[in-house]
Amino acid sequence: MAGIDPQPLSHQALPPTPRPGFARGLSGAAVLAALALASAAAPLMADGATIRRIDADPVVAALLDGRGSLSFALLAGVLGGVIGVGWAVAANLLAGLVGDRVERRMMRGATRLAGLPLALLVPLAGGLSGSVGLLALATAFAAAPAVATLAHAELDALMRAEFLTAARAAGLPEHEVLRRHLIPNALRPLLAAGMLALPRALAAESFASLLGLGLPPALGSWGASVGLAARLGDPLALAPPALLLALALWAACAIADAGVAGPASRIGKP
Amino acid sequence: MSDPGLSHHTPGHHTLGHPGLAAAPVDVDALTLMLGDHVLLDRATLRLERGEVLAITGGAGSGKTALLGALAGQPVPGVDVAGTAGVDGRRLLIAQGGRLAPRRPLALQVAEVVGHHLGVDLRAALRRVADGLDRMGVPPAARRFDLPPEQLPDSLRWACLFAMAIAIGPALLLADAPCAGLDPTVRLRLLHRLADWARAEGTALILAGRPEDGLAGPADRALSLRRGRLVPSGPDGEPQRDAEPAPPGHPLEVPGTVRLRAHGVGVSYPLAPAPNGERRQLTVLHAVDLDLRNGETLALLGETGSAKATLVRALLCLPPPTTGLVAWMGRDLTAAATTTSGSDDPDPAGLRRARRDLQPLFPDPAASLDPAMTVGAQFAIVLESLRPDIAADRRAHRIAEALEEAGLRAETAARWPTALTAAEAAHVGLARALLSEPRVLIGDEPAATLSADERAGFLDTLLAARDRRHLSLILATERMEEGLRDAHRGLVLLMGRVVESADAATLRTAPLHPYSRAMLAAARGDRPDLAGDAPSALNQPAGCPLRRRCPKARPFCAQAMPPLEEVAPGHRVACHYWDMPDNGDA
Ligand code: SF4
Repeated sequence: MAGIDPQPLSHQALPPTPRPGFARGLSGAAVLAALALASAAAPLMADGATIRRIDADPVVAALLDGRGSLSFALLAGVLGGVIGVGWAVAANLLAGLVGDRVERRMMRGATRLAGLPLALLVPLAGGLSGSVGLLALATAFAAAPAVATLAHAELDALMRAEFLTAARAAGLPEHEVLRRHLIPNALRPLLAAGMLALPRALAAESFASLLGLGLPPALGSWGASVGLAARLGDPLALAPPALLLALALWAACAIADAGVAGPASRIGKP
Repeated sequence: MSDPGLSHHTPGHHTLGHPGLAAAPVDVDALTLMLGDHVLLDRATLRLERGEVLAITGGAGSGKTALLGALAGQPVPGVDVAGTAGVDGRRLLIAQGGRLAPRRPLALQVAEVVGHHLGVDLRAALRRVADGLDRMGVPPAARRFDLPPEQLPDSLRWACLFAMAIAIGPALLLADAPCAGLDPTVRLRLLHRLADWARAEGTALILAGRPEDGLAGPADRALSLRRGRLVPSGPDGEPQRDAEPAPPGHPLEVPGTVRLRAHGVGVSYPLAPAPNGERRQLTVLHAVDLDLRNGETLALLGETGSAKATLVRALLCLPPPTTGLVAWMGRDLTAAATTTSGSDDPDPAGLRRARRDLQPLFPDPAASLDPAMTVGAQFAIVLESLRPDIAADRRAHRIAEALEEAGLRAETAARWPTALTAAEAAHVGLARALLSEPRVLIGDEPAATLSADERAGFLDTLLAARDRRHLSLILATERMEEGLRDAHRGLVLLMGRVVESADAATLRTAPLHPYSRAMLAAARGDRPDLAGDAPSALNQPAGCPLRRRCPKARPFCAQAMPPLEEVAPGHRVACHYWDMPDNGDA
């Protein structure tokens, strides 16, 4: 019967189209990769006196700073993502073992923390200790609650997905449901949630460095260079690191957004 | 966003001077609608008298919305209109879904529209809407229209939109998919009220919707929009078909012995404790008993909140019910399912064997497929788990067989679930259920996401599989006629209780419980004899759950829950006064 109906105005089941944020995320990833490559290659562009950054070409100097900023953001971002995702997974596991109360309390804590200006902890840690490790830890902790909240929401939706019930109806024991269906479907949304930590880490570090309380000067940082140039009143030195920082932040946010926009639509009706 | 998708046009916008035809408010001549090169409507001619109610039915994308737009004088963008659509007098279009701003108080939005049309102030507009609500039969206690639409039940929203239309009193009222998504008994009640008003006030009313929405019931005339033509449609809103298989003559196999037995099955959920520390729980399913015989088809009939879906899950032990037991061939499944959730015993007390025999059909087939795996890959897991006797190299063969049995091509195994259409997903769901060669299929509205034609195709495939394999079948549905057409027996569920159980023929012809009668009336497009909306599960009246809506209700109904009693062999009814006449106007 369906064949004689005229062409529908709107199809109920369109072929899967790329998600709206996807192209932006892709370009974000490309920009970030280019920035990282350029920063890594910066020492080759500079002459022998690279270490004396003041004398270098401002663009090259900014690229050199990128090494510090980006690698620190990567370190702290990965750490923050792992902490956040671990938090959410632990909450879900505990819910199964101990009861929903623990889970609810853990996630309420995460939501509350995510609402606080935790980024202020980063300059505090930088000012108090100055050790890069501690700074990374503080940055990661500042980024983790937001990651945990999102990861938990994604996991929650996934746990209620109908295909898990279908798998149980097929007599699969819980560990098999976990291995065959839950984990493969959880990886992508969790990765996407973890991505949220990257822009946060970059922003927090730049903010701390801007105040002069961030990364040690030897490592170099866009925030620090912007702060220094502003204090010296040197627009020529200020523009390159500020622009590169803005570009990197945009790219990191685009990647995170693209990841977040996707998975919920794949799981279907809760 | 002050105008919630409603518009009016004063006379003469499209009207041509037909002096002799001035009495008819709608006079459409050779109206053609084109969407690009595609003809939505081909030279349609239509005349509607004052007070005439017309239903226009058609599948998704058949051009109903475009037609209504043309009649309302606000053509849908991208659609070219040719011919004349003469409308004499004020016209009002209630757009699909009502199209209200979700966060603003409903009363305000509605009163603004009324005020805009009639040029009266807000107070007068609200008074007129209140009169309209009287005509729609909304009791004053239920009028919480200072709330935004998103916090109101759908039925109230629709009642309020209709009241607004009544307040404005147009010469032509157009409603696109009115009351879509409401329970049949509620939908038909509202539509009949609206139609009554239109007839009484001499308003021409056009209701447009899908064929399965039962719009033809309240209408005087029903047209079906098919392939660009408006053709008269049959009593059920579908175009007249010659080869409709005669339902009563359908040879149904005589059921054998009882295989699946549920006794006192109840489901409750814990709620947050009360302020005084008392434990609370919400019981959604109250001690239901049920037998399913070999080769029997049982229809579970109920609307929103009837807990038919919960019952289906409880029967499958997904999760097991909180009280009562479900036994398959004499073996208690509830015990097996509860003791083993957590342990990894591969075949706990024959549970897996029972899972092989009892297979579910899910209400949203697309969501029941793992998006990260091809159809074939997940089918292989099912086979591995439920049919260890099929060797690994024979699995692909069995999967192809099951897909073909479900009316799909064997290549579907290589496809990804996200690339399937809704209809294909439903058939894939059926194929998965058939994969383990089960004895019983238990489905909760498995075709709810499909259009009328797709649903008919799906049900045909399902019934063919049932007959070929002598399956027992439990199908939950809110469509009473459709559910009973191919069933041996039916259970009518209301608020988690069985209110009537009888063989299908009895339920189709002479149900006794007031709620069953209302559901049957709604399924036939007649006026259901029930007032108001279903109470929320958290706020159930004491005594009979139907008593605030029931035409037979008497004071005693508030005091005691009616038990399910046998009134004739095989026919049980839970009502104190099933044999009494209605008490006038309740
Ligand atoms: S018990 Fe009373 S309220 Fe309930 S259905 Fe019967 S007559 Fe109506």
